[in-house]
Amino acid sequence: MGVIEELQSGALSAEENVLRFLEAIEARDGEINAFIEVNPRAIEEARAVDEKIKQGRAGKLAGLAIAVKSNINVRGLRATCASKTLENYVAPYDATVIERIRREDGIIIGMTNMDEFACGSSGETSYFGPTQNPAARGRIPGGSSSGSAAAIAANFADLALGSDTGGSIRNPASHCGVVGIKPTYGLVPRYGLIDLAMSLDQIGPLARDVYSAALLLEVIAGYNPKEATTLRVSQQNYTSKLSADLSGYTIGFAKEFEEYAAKEIIREVKHALAKLEAQGASVVEVELPSLDKALPTYYLTVFVEFFSATRRFDGRRYGYRIEEVCGEEVLRRIMLGRYISQKEYSGRYYRRALQFRSLIKKEMLEALSGVDLIAGPTTPKLPHRIGESIDPLAMYAYDLLTVPANLAGIPAGVIKAGEVGDVPVGIQFHAKPLEEQKILNAMYALEGGRA
Amino acid sequence: MKVTIGFEIHEQLATKTKLFCNSPTNYRDAPPNTNVCEVCTGMPGAKPMPVNQEAVDAVIAIALMLNCEIVKEPIYILRKHYDYPDLPSGYQRTSMPIGKNGELAGVKIWEVHLEEDPGKYDPTTGKVDYNRSGVPLVEIVTAPDMHSPEEAREFLKELVKVLRYTGRVREEGGTMRVDTNVSIEGGARVEIKNINSIRGAYRALKFEITRQKNLMKRGRVVKRETRAYLESQMITKGMRTKEEAEDYRYIPDPDIPPLLISEEKIEEIKATLPEAPHLKEKRFIEQYGIKSDDARIIASELELANAFEEVAKVIPPQLAATWIRDEVKRVLEYNGITFKESGITPAHLIELLQLVLNDEITLKTAKKVMELLPEKRTSPKKIIEELGLKKLREDSLVAKACDEAIAENPKAVEDYLSGKKEALNFLVGQVMRKTRGRADPAKVLEMLRERVEGK
Repeated sequence: MGVIEELQSGALSAEENVLRFLEAIEARDGEINAFIEVNPRAIEEARAVDEKIKQGRAGKLAGLAIAVKSNINVRGLRATCASKTLENYVAPYDATVIERIRREDGIIIGMTNMDEFACGSSGETSYFGPTQNPAARGRIPGGSSSGSAAAIAANFADLALGSDTGGSIRNPASHCGVVGIKPTYGLVPRYGLIDLAMSLDQIGPLARDVYSAALLLEVIAGYNPKEATTLRVSQQNYTSKLSADLSGYTIGFAKEFEEYAAKEIIREVKHALAKLEAQGASVVEVELPSLDKALPTYYLTVFVEFFSATRRFDGRRYGYRIEEVCGEEVLRRIMLGRYISQKEYSGRYYRRALQFRSLIKKEMLEALSGVDLIAGPTTPKLPHRIGESIDPLAMYAYDLLTVPANLAGIPAGVIKAGEVGDVPVGIQFHAKPLEEQKILNAMYALEGGRA
Repeated sequence: MKVTIGFEIHEQLATKTKLFCNSPTNYRDAPPNTNVCEVCTGMPGAKPMPVNQEAVDAVIAIALMLNCEIVKEPIYILRKHYDYPDLPSGYQRTSMPIGKNGELAGVKIWEVHLEEDPGKYDPTTGKVDYNRSGVPLVEIVTAPDMHSPEEAREFLKELVKVLRYTGRVREEGGTMRVDTNVSIEGGARVEIKNINSIRGAYRALKFEITRQKNLMKRGRVVKRETRAYLESQMITKGMRTKEEAEDYRYIPDPDIPPLLISEEKIEEIKATLPEAPHLKEKRFIEQYGIKSDDARIIASELELANAFEEVAKVIPPQLAATWIRDEVKRVLEYNGITFKESGITPAHLIELLQLVLNDEITLKTAKKVMELLPEKRTSPKKIIEELGLKKLREDSLVAKACDEAIAENPKAVEDYLSGKKEALNFLVGQVMRKTRGRADPAKVLEMLRERVEGK
């Protein structure tokens, strides 16, 4: 909140704010590798915002530096998806979220590193090399919004945009110890987000504190007439309704979480829940019996939708045919998607995945019907060391606790609960569709914000 | 040997914007790749806009005109994947059936879908034009209910008439694409693609049936395959066999929620539908007592049929019908335009026919005025005034013309008097020329006879 106040009072100019981040990136990003590209016009844009601040007509994000995941189109910058496939693709238009950020005078500081085409949970599959975890050096930052989370953790930007298909915001937020939110499906426009799995993808904010995450979320959220899957939701105002008073809140904890997550992670989560009880919330047990079906359901859906989404990278327009230049994980998903979407198999795999998806959604909504929030761990295990070889199934298993929110289309948020050794551990909150405010309030309470 | 023929017909819908974006659809008038945006060129990150309601309504209207049931369950938009330069996203979007179980001219209509057109690829230059990409299409799938190329042609003619009647398909023509399935008893079904006119469909079927019959005569097997019609050579050529058939890997498009068509929507569209052409034809015969041939021709275009009904309120129906069938159609065909495009109004026709009935102009003048109507786009009276075509009433002027004709053509007079009666017709022609058609030919004949015989 400090920076926002300083910028608005004029104590800090937008130019100074952007400059110090550019200097920090210059000095330290060689080690972290959070950015693929910085915005060469950032200073120029900051000066223009300073003019507006002086004239008293600057927007909500005036002067804040925002890092953007490389699968979101920002006009004039490369949206590479961290792939050789789109190595030279300069976005010719702004994604709707970028238009909204610009309207509120936020400044795009650069394009962040990520798992190639968002296929990964470690930040290691980028064509531009792996990203370091600034909060736990030597370890993966998580993924796929690895650069966005690392940029926040390393203090390279005020705010960042990530995308979350099965945990890609929440997983790195947890590993890097920052705040990350996956909004309700359809709340934030996807127009301009390069697809992983269209029925699951959502753009969301990453930030160092809950207030600024809420601020970015309220700027980007809301109905978009340009897309068919948008929700008819008007302009939101989360920041003015932020409250750490949790009296009356019932928070569910599913006993199945203990089966899947490491003991030391559960310990940190329960510790955080105890703090929330002290602030008025009551904690009850809920059941998620189909949790074991979430991962296969999720991956079958992703393979098929990703296969479909990548057909446009046929080498005719963007230089390379994706199958010829992509990394192993991207290729694996395309091949599996191509295989299971065949006419003879679609009934067996894809249709069944859609059926299980309905089941999981129903179960999540039922579990949520008696409570305000479901809280639990974000990842089953701590981030591994960079370079440590792990097999694909072990990599997929990182997503076990984050995919249900995407399958159900509900919002979920992550904030640091504690540490195991020196490694951050995040607690994850789920809420009913469009109840982002409750998630924000719970995280705000945990952060120690004023009631 | 029994022949079985079925069709899949695609026609562009007359919407202002494309199916999933706001780019305009007048792709032919625009330079290549200018009627495009991120959506219809499949740029990374672009998402389809909500489906164009005008296009959905058009397909509902067409399905209803083809006597289909409208599907009430959620209708998914599917992605049909294939790799071709004209397809910017690598898939084409096509709806599940919107209408089902219809019928037209004795042919069952299986399904009616909504689809998007791909761009245009020219294999010789390697150039792609995305102007057409995303233009909405209706796809009509018939049962294999036709049994000869002639029957198939009649069906397509009737279908085109009905599509035009709805006013929901593109008027400029030449946008229809037809795939046909044809088989002969004992042989496999062969699909022919790349047909783009009724005449093309007829020729392709003629060729294909002969080809299959010849194969069978020689004891060869007709295998299941897809063939292309080559317009320039009027033949079909093998494209791929069943084994090579593409798997389109259909999936419901995750970017587009399914369509739901309400009962109210169906009723609302029903209320705007015109009477079907074959019903109109029948009614014209019964209600106005006109000849069935005339009724068929008049009902071939909705605007023409409507005009007839207006005219028949004032003018004796059979006169109106004959005039429309002979004269109006002649002028339209000569100019290669539809009645709607001609700008001719029922009021023009009424005015013109009344002038004839009141004996104010000759039939010849009326025909001439008819020819001028599409160009002048003004009332017949004004045209007649402008060109001074009013019938000459003063006998003195006609008499003068007769005298002149007789004086100038002594040979004709001589011929007539020596028994060649038709020579008088020549003189009538001369008088008509002198009076620029304004004289009454019967009157002229009488005056000439008096003069020549009294000589």
